[in-house]
Amino acid sequence: MKKSLLLTLLSMCFILLLAACGGGNPEGGEDNSESGEGNSKGGEDTAAENEAAEEVEIEFWHAMSGPHEEQINSFVDQFNSEHENITVKPVNQGSYDDLEQKIMAAAKAGNLPTLSQAVTSVIPEYMNNDFIMPLNDFIEDSEIGLSDEELDDYVDVFRESSQWDGTYYSLPFSKSTRVLFYNKEILEDNGFEAPETWDDVRNIAETVTKDNVVGMGFENSYESEFQAVLNQMGGTFIDEETSEAQFASENGVEAMSLIMDMIDEEIARTAGEEDYMSNPFGRGDVAMYIGSSAGIPHVAGAAEGNIEWGTAPTPTLDGEAATVFAGNDIIMFNQAETAEQKAAWKFMKFLTSPEITAAWSMESGYLPVRYSAQELEEYQSFVEENDEYKAGTEQFDAGFFTARIQGSNKVRNILLEEFDNIQLGQKTVKEGLTDAQDRANETLQ
Amino acid sequence: MMSEPTWKSTFKAFLYLLPALLILIIFNIYPIIKSFLMSFYIDFDYFNNVVYERGVRNFIHLFQDPNFIKATLNTFIFVVGVVPISIILSLTIALFLNSKIKFLGFFRTIYFLPFVTSVVAVAIVWSWIFHSDYGLLNYFLGWFGIDPINWLTDPTYAMPALIILSIWKGLGFNIIIFLAGLQNINQQYYLAAQVDGASAWRRFTNMTLPLLSPTMFFVSIISIINGFKVFDEIFALFNGKPGPANSTLTVVYYVYQKFYEEYEFSLAAAAAFVLFIIVFIFTLVQLIIGKKFVHYD
Repeated sequence: MKKSLLLTLLSMCFILLLAACGGGNPEGGEDNSESGEGNSKGGEDTAAENEAAEEVEIEFWHAMSGPHEEQINSFVDQFNSEHENITVKPVNQGSYDDLEQKIMAAAKAGNLPTLSQAVTSVIPEYMNNDFIMPLNDFIEDSEIGLSDEELDDYVDVFRESSQWDGTYYSLPFSKSTRVLFYNKEILEDNGFEAPETWDDVRNIAETVTKDNVVGMGFENSYESEFQAVLNQMGGTFIDEETSEAQFASENGVEAMSLIMDMIDEEIARTAGEEDYMSNPFGRGDVAMYIGSSAGIPHVAGAAEGNIEWGTAPTPTLDGEAATVFAGNDIIMFNQAETAEQKAAWKFMKFLTSPEITAAWSMESGYLPVRYSAQELEEYQSFVEENDEYKAGTEQFDAGFFTARIQGSNKVRNILLEEFDNIQLGQKTVKEGLTDAQDRANETLQ
Repeated sequence: MMSEPTWKSTFKAFLYLLPALLILIIFNIYPIIKSFLMSFYIDFDYFNNVVYERGVRNFIHLFQDPNFIKATLNTFIFVVGVVPISIILSLTIALFLNSKIKFLGFFRTIYFLPFVTSVVAVAIVWSWIFHSDYGLLNYFLGWFGIDPINWLTDPTYAMPALIILSIWKGLGFNIIIFLAGLQNINQQYYLAAQVDGASAWRRFTNMTLPLLSPTMFFVSIISIINGFKVFDEIFALFNGKPGPANSTLTVVYYVYQKFYEEYEFSLAAAAAFVLFIIVFIFTLVQLIIGKKFVHYD
């Protein structure tokens, strides 16, 4: 029961114990497979290697379940049948949190998979602990790499969020952005079109808020919206170069007030106890809300039979457009052998190829990660039929991403706590942000 | 009955104990020692198991961290809120279930059900009961003219909500233990007391309670230890957050945050160790008090 956490901790320590007793040295045996010290793998392996030098099996950990997992499995099947010598084994590890915890435990035990899905914000931790593989050698490889045109075909904001100081540590995979969902009926009844600016949003929200309907909605963690408005005002959230939080600036206070004033005036609300906004929106309790584009299928489910809805790009401020792109990448760990890494790279390239990313996007609601994927006929007719998917890709040029630094989870926890304090009226916007910034900078040192 | 222990009998017993002992050592004792050692790591490479510097800084940091203080206080509030009410309620229900009523098996099953249901399922159901607009609880309170309460989003009510859920969830286990204890009491005592004309209340205070004291002692120790370790309920009820504005942050939740979310391995180990000490002291105090009031026939 309540022991589950403790048990995990304990079993991790146990794994450590086993690893220590196992006698295998984790650093050796990686690249020098010929040296014959197969003490950790057993003797059969060497025999197999001689037989078919290129036969490799790689594990791919992910956090996709249900229809998403089926889709991944079909990609894997396609890849496996196209590559005789490579067998990719997809392993569903549960939720993103579960996946992260399992990676942590596997890293400690020294048996990481070759490939995994990973949230971009956690990659710096993996870099710092030195178990993730830089990808430049593969990308630049003349045989299996990416040409300049191919590399440029990756959507800019994703390509940039996969690099740290010019080194690639990931390829984008299940990516999403923020879009504005609106209730067509409520807006039309009041003579409004979908909002384009924050002024529009406020205006509509003021008018349509009545009885049981609240005009505007935010997810519980609306730090994405805060960041977007802050960016539109020209402010900085966290400086990636110096790892310094700067969001308590004048711009920061103004950006937060823009959101908080609407909540205080009760023309906007957060998801609150409902965890996600899709349910209240689907019931018709809120007229608009900003959420993740990956939530489109959830909204569709919640709204079915209740309301007519659509999506629009997130609102602009004084003509400035800016929206946060986030999501998951594919990463390679460095405990695998060279042949495995090569095979893994081929699979990464395959998963992010235009056809696959288009198919993935149509099935899952994540964004296509290649420009050319959007031009595929199939994709275009899909978007024609499902125009709620337009808003996401329309915002590529206005896209930016949260600073990817070590300790970003700590900063997020601090921020969520201080946001609560502000929202509950225990602190003013300025106090809350200043406290959050001070605490963030203290931990980021 | 019992003969003197010999080397042979000790060895034989040891063999029987060995499997359980091994598991305990590997999964409990070793990790406790290891995490105690880890709580002194200051500069270290967790994944490669290299330690460059040791010290007590983690503990100093803990007691200067307002969130840890808050977590400790919240944990105490939780224990004080849950344990007494839970014991009184479950004893009352156990007495009722121990009497001659119809559909006894049905009632016993009903009360035990929450205990065997997954915490996540329970929390999902309760998050609807606690819902401010659509929840049952506010609906009932409305009958008495009480305004809707934001159980899950108001820091004042988040802890009471968690306590209510935990009491309900833990009742079944306590009831079963109390029932077993009650059925162990020899009926002849009661017959004798009835002959002497003792009232039902007198029989309860002067016979049932003292004769039930070993069970009571067991239940209170287990409940308090479990109370200090609360985590799952919070995680599930508040959807992976320690309540609004950290209002239900407990020590174990703090450990979870530090270890899994923030990669502060040694700090998490230090916090876990502090919790261990707290629980240890409480159990010792209970043992001492127990010696005075518990009668083993």
